[in-house]
Amino acid sequence: MTNMVEVEGLSKSFPPSTKVVAGVSFSVREGEVFSLLGPNGAGKTTTIRMLTTLTSITEGKAMVGGHDVSKDPGAVRNLIGVVPQDVTLDNELKGIENLLLSAKLHHVPNAVATKRATDLLHLVDLDESMGNRVSTYSGGMKRRLQLVTALVHEPRILFLDEPTVGLDIQTRTRIWDYIRQLNRERGLTIFMTTHYLEEADQLSDIVAIMDHGGIRVSGPPSDLKASLHGDVLTISIDGGGNDLVDFLRSIPNVTEVTRVDHSYRLKLPKVESALPEIITGVASRGLKIIETSFSKPTLDQVFLEVTGRSMRDAEESNGNHDRFGTVHARETR
Amino acid sequence: MIGETLVLGRRALTKWVRNPFAVIVTSIQALFWLALFGNSFNPANAFSSTSGGSLGPLQQAFGGAPNYITYLAPGVIGLVALTGMSFMGVDLVFDRINGYLDTLRAFPIPRTSIYFGGVVQNIAKGMVAAPITFALALVIPDGLRLTPGFGVLNLIGVFGVVALLTAVFATFFTGIAISVKSTDSFFAAVNFLTFPFMFTSSAFFPLSFFPGWLKPLAQANPITLASDAMRLLILNSTLSTPQVQALLGDLAGMSVIGVLFVALGMAMARNALKAR
Repeated sequence: MTNMVEVEGLSKSFPPSTKVVAGVSFSVREGEVFSLLGPNGAGKTTTIRMLTTLTSITEGKAMVGGHDVSKDPGAVRNLIGVVPQDVTLDNELKGIENLLLSAKLHHVPNAVATKRATDLLHLVDLDESMGNRVSTYSGGMKRRLQLVTALVHEPRILFLDEPTVGLDIQTRTRIWDYIRQLNRERGLTIFMTTHYLEEADQLSDIVAIMDHGGIRVSGPPSDLKASLHGDVLTISIDGGGNDLVDFLRSIPNVTEVTRVDHSYRLKLPKVESALPEIITGVASRGLKIIETSFSKPTLDQVFLEVTGRSMRDAEESNGNHDRFGTVHARETR
Repeated sequence: MIGETLVLGRRALTKWVRNPFAVIVTSIQALFWLALFGNSFNPANAFSSTSGGSLGPLQQAFGGAPNYITYLAPGVIGLVALTGMSFMGVDLVFDRINGYLDTLRAFPIPRTSIYFGGVVQNIAKGMVAAPITFALALVIPDGLRLTPGFGVLNLIGVFGVVALLTAVFATFFTGIAISVKSTDSFFAAVNFLTFPFMFTSSAFFPLSFFPGWLKPLAQANPITLASDAMRLLILNSTLSTPQVQALLGDLAGMSVIGVLFVALGMAMARNALKAR
């Protein structure tokens, strides 16, 4: 597989403020779904804007589809579809007119364009409303139309900036389905930014966690989560004592055991594989398990691990900047 | 390049046909200039002895016009082209604000086609106003009086001049619209720039009334060139050789200004649309 995107030491500064994107490097392989995950103000939008030729690159190099973004933006524009964070449709035109306009400006022949436009509108269930003006559409409908507007010229890579921000959960899952479908059925390479952990986890082949303009860690979501050394199992046991702690520690792969009264907290790579041994061990000591619960690691924990704060805290602290407009300015430039 | 320009121009016109309010209001605005300004500032009012709105001793200075509205009407057609073109570029400002311009910037189209798309649609809109203004001038009392021999060629000539003038202003103001970042600055810039064009022109009064220092500037004003050209075509059924030369001079002057504005507008568009 070849690389659709290759980024080396990419930086952006908007003088006089500090670097919004500070030397990031990554690559996206053809057919992959790649997510930049991070709180608002992390530099995700600026990164996507540099890759889509909208914002100039201060330092470093970015290649999209084998073309240098700075030196040959025209070639890059031929290969990409861009779905911006805010809906940018022409409200006074009909749904299908928006699509055909995009097709014409991408030099798609008329006959082909009409066929593709109808197919795409069918894909996102807008067949019935395609003859209505966009001003009559709901927020979710606009988002779906925006998505297919970026596809009518059959780009080789689709850039999505926060594709589901501000949408209700139903519409969000629908958009996820479309994105999956496009990736699986058409083999479309997808580069997206998101600050929804679940979105990144569900859709991505590769997640890169971004904070303060830098990529802290990247890899398949399952690997990132596995790097936390696993699951957390909590069991409450009637009776028992420090000898039980010793027993639990002796179980292979258990990395950590902490006891609070009757409750024992174990850290281990995979709960399922150790559970039978724990149960028989406890039972053989004549003790009774009252309650068990376990949690699988989440990307939020990965974020916490690499940045030292949770996504929500990061959002809130960046939100404070937003009041002064700095983050907003960064994100929209 | 031409293809993209026409696609973008058509986008705007489709919208305009669905919502023609702005174009119609701009066109009807001409009525205020003709009926209100034309009567309150009519120099004939100074000569109570003259009848039928005749300009009396001033007729010669006003290019031989039989009444003031006949002199004023071509000027008003020019003013409507100016004000219409100045404000209609606002579409591009909204495109920038709501992000549509960024969407276009990520498309594989020449940056200048966005500029020329704006120019083309503005010219098309502007050309709606001119016949309306012309008709209004004809129907109001003591209004525009065409030369008895006024024919199809004169009419084509008048609208050819309007088209050229509209293009001159469209190329200029579209450059402004594509460069500004907010509606506030757009309207401030437009207001700032329209008045000099308006008041240094021969739209209201002949240049012979102007002080010496203002005359060269006024002579180069595209509204002066266009109004003078239209007056030649309205007041004369056939043109003498000096008149033909004057007409060609006016057209050449407007063309030179137009070419300069296109160059300026393209540079402004490239600068405003490049990645930063």
